[in-house]
Amino acid sequence: MPSYSITRPSRQEDYARFSPNTPIVIDNGGSSFRIGWAGESDPRVTFRNVVQRPRHKATGETVTIVGDHDPSLMKYFDCTRTSFRSPFDNNVVYQFEIMEYVLDYGFERLGANLQVDHPILMTECICNPLSSRSKMAELLFETYSVPSIAFGVDAVFSYKLNQQFGRCNEDGLAICSGFSASHVIPIVKGEPVTEACCRTNIGGYHVTNYLKQLLSLKYPYHMSSITWEKAEELKMEHCYVATDFASELQLFQKGNEEAKEKTRCWQLPWVPPTQGDVPSEEELARRAALKEKQGQRLRDMAAARKSIRITELENELNGLEDLLQQLDEVEEPEVSSILSGTKFFSRQEIESAILRVTQSLRKAKGEPSEPEEKNDSSLSEKYPLVSVPDELLSPEQLKEKKRQIFLKTTSEGRLLAKRKRFEEESLREKQNQLDEEKRLENPELYLEQLHDRYRELSEKVELRKRVKTNGNQNLSGGVGRGERLSAAQKERMRLLTSAAFDRGKGEDTFGARDEDWQLYKLMSKDNDDDDNGQDEDEAELARVTSRLQDIDPNFVPKSDLVPPQATPEFSKFRPQSLEDFKIVLGVERFRCPEVLFQPNMIGIDQAGLDEMAGISLRRLDRVDDPIKDDITKSILVTGGSALLPGLLPRLVAGIRQMRPYLSPLTVVRACDPILDAWRGASIYANSPQFSLQTLSMQDYYEKGESLLWQYQIKYTI
Amino acid sequence: MEAEVVGSEMVLPAALPFKRVQMSDKYPKGQSRGRHWKHLKQILQAENYASLPAHEPNYLNIESPPSLYPSKKYCDMTGFEAPYTDPRTKLRYANPDVFKRVRSLPNEYVQRYLALRNAAIILR
Repeated sequence: MPSYSITRPSRQEDYARFSPNTPIVIDNGGSSFRIGWAGESDPRVTFRNVVQRPRHKATGETVTIVGDHDPSLMKYFDCTRTSFRSPFDNNVVYQFEIMEYVLDYGFERLGANLQVDHPILMTECICNPLSSRSKMAELLFETYSVPSIAFGVDAVFSYKLNQQFGRCNEDGLAICSGFSASHVIPIVKGEPVTEACCRTNIGGYHVTNYLKQLLSLKYPYHMSSITWEKAEELKMEHCYVATDFASELQLFQKGNEEAKEKTRCWQLPWVPPTQGDVPSEEELARRAALKEKQGQRLRDMAAARKSIRITELENELNGLEDLLQQLDEVEEPEVSSILSGTKFFSRQEIESAILRVTQSLRKAKGEPSEPEEKNDSSLSEKYPLVSVPDELLSPEQLKEKKRQIFLKTTSEGRLLAKRKRFEEESLREKQNQLDEEKRLENPELYLEQLHDRYRELSEKVELRKRVKTNGNQNLSGGVGRGERLSAAQKERMRLLTSAAFDRGKGEDTFGARDEDWQLYKLMSKDNDDDDNGQDEDEAELARVTSRLQDIDPNFVPKSDLVPPQATPEFSKFRPQSLEDFKIVLGVERFRCPEVLFQPNMIGIDQAGLDEMAGISLRRLDRVDDPIKDDITKSILVTGGSALLPGLLPRLVAGIRQMRPYLSPLTVVRACDPILDAWRGASIYANSPQFSLQTLSMQDYYEKGESLLWQYQIKYTI
Repeated sequence: MEAEVVGSEMVLPAALPFKRVQMSDKYPKGQSRGRHWKHLKQILQAENYASLPAHEPNYLNIESPPSLYPSKKYCDMTGFEAPYTDPRTKLRYANPDVFKRVRSLPNEYVQRYLALRNAAIILR
């Protein structure tokens, strides 16, 4: 497709060759812009009708890029704040600045250098709003100073062309399914009947967008790979229209062979993570030896550090003992002078320092310390007042006593806790030993038991979790009529309503008493006592899992319900595989184009293509003699979406539903649904009477907008 | 500009010889360009079609009416026929397996599926 290749149109060289009478034909379409000379069979320049205005990184100026471009060159530009902008809103041009850029580019590529002094034939949508048309005329006349312009409808041009080829008659129906809208236009005696035409705001854009969204939601991991351009490509290659949508769906739902054949897979590039080959024996041995060496080195360093510390401590101990000895030998008056030289103030301090150092020395050497006795002895030392009864003490001593009681209870508490921990440890050790014995004597039975335990634990945990999350989701979404509350939630609601209950007359006395505020504590979610039970269960589950993983080589922990769509990251439980990078197009292949026939699928409340034909024929009734049979004998399908395979049989089936039994019905596709509009316009512009149909600049300046209003070209000349 | 970029001719030149008024004059730099155009809805409003005779075709007249066929309900996730709707999220599903997946979707995806059908609630 010319519009989607990234080859940029080259500048045409032969602009000067054409006489000023040769009109330039422009097909201004929602998806692409085609411009060329009248009388030729193909447009010279075609590009996508979008504009981008990024900032150039080096110079900082904002530049304009029209149409598609080579993505590799985009690295020179800062594209963060720009996006593709189209001059169209639905199928009406509304952004004339963008339109101007597009026209600039179109004329420049066509080779215009000094003046665009050729008449212009431009396509527009049917019943184009006046303001859009007048702005377009203003743009062309005032900025480009073209001598004359003409506006026409692309679908009718396409019809006229096919009429010339004999594919359709003078009276017929043109069904044009474009980029943003689809039209059905009846043509009577060669002229379109605008009163009876019909438009639905569904087009190729909606089909592609639907496909893109569906794939992105189904494969959130690959969202970045599913770009607009890729989605268009997929649509053009793989999408088709099902003749009978319901039965196609049934086919896929059953999932049999036919459905599999119709499914296409798109394989994204994937490189398996390099795990390398299984290392050979020597490799393994070498690696083990290396690890061993490193371990040894670390151990040596640790041992060296330890010995240094030990020597330090010993030195310190010796020094202190020497000091003590000195003090012993020397007499009273010199004691204080020696003491002032050191940092100790009394004998006891030195002794306690010696005690500390010996303890740390013992710990460093790895011998068990003797904390118990020391503590006991120090206990009675430190708390002398505790044993003394209250009456014998003065007030300060009472305070002192209180403090000592407090300290004593805390240290006693610590001791108790330590003892309990020790007991639990020993208990667990014993249990492990029992377990091991059981395992050794009967491995299979043990394994089975373990598996059973694992299963019931995981069920319990899951159930509780589900109840919890149901509860949580419940609260976030509001409590509906049919949703049950858990016991805790019921309690909370009761408290809330009772607290808020207005007892009629009298003021609200909530809060006057202190106990009222306890209500909040009761209501608080932290007080859920399910938690404790759940923690235990979870802890045990974890233990059992690890045990199973150690023993059983085939065991795989049951992961939580990881929904395939919710987490974009792959769970740690299975490695990524080739399968994960495969995007499967099954139902989407015909589900997306179905939007053209059932716009309700994306929420647009309008009739689909087949129904539109019926509506248009009915509207014709009000206007003209009933020549419907003639019309249905030549129905032409044109526009970009006409290229979808299977569209024609579907249309035939759809329109037949609305016509009387056995009335004539022929539906043909245009020779080239995309280019026919331009070609038809080119032939039209080439005819000698074309100049009579145009609006000249003088007329425009004299009469202005009112002229545009009544402006309608005659298509048969 | 880099040679590559100039060579590929992808950038529109700032001044073109065949134009009477250049872009830089029309839209001077620094001036906000945000308000120079009207959206389609505003254009149609300004056209004031209500005052024109109703039998003459205009942009709004020729729109097609809502479909006369009753709309079929399709499953949001798989695309099959969906006789059931989830009361909590309002998504349509086709069978219990899909229902399980629907219930385990995070809210963001639920809203995106609904937006596909134009049924998402937009709070502004």
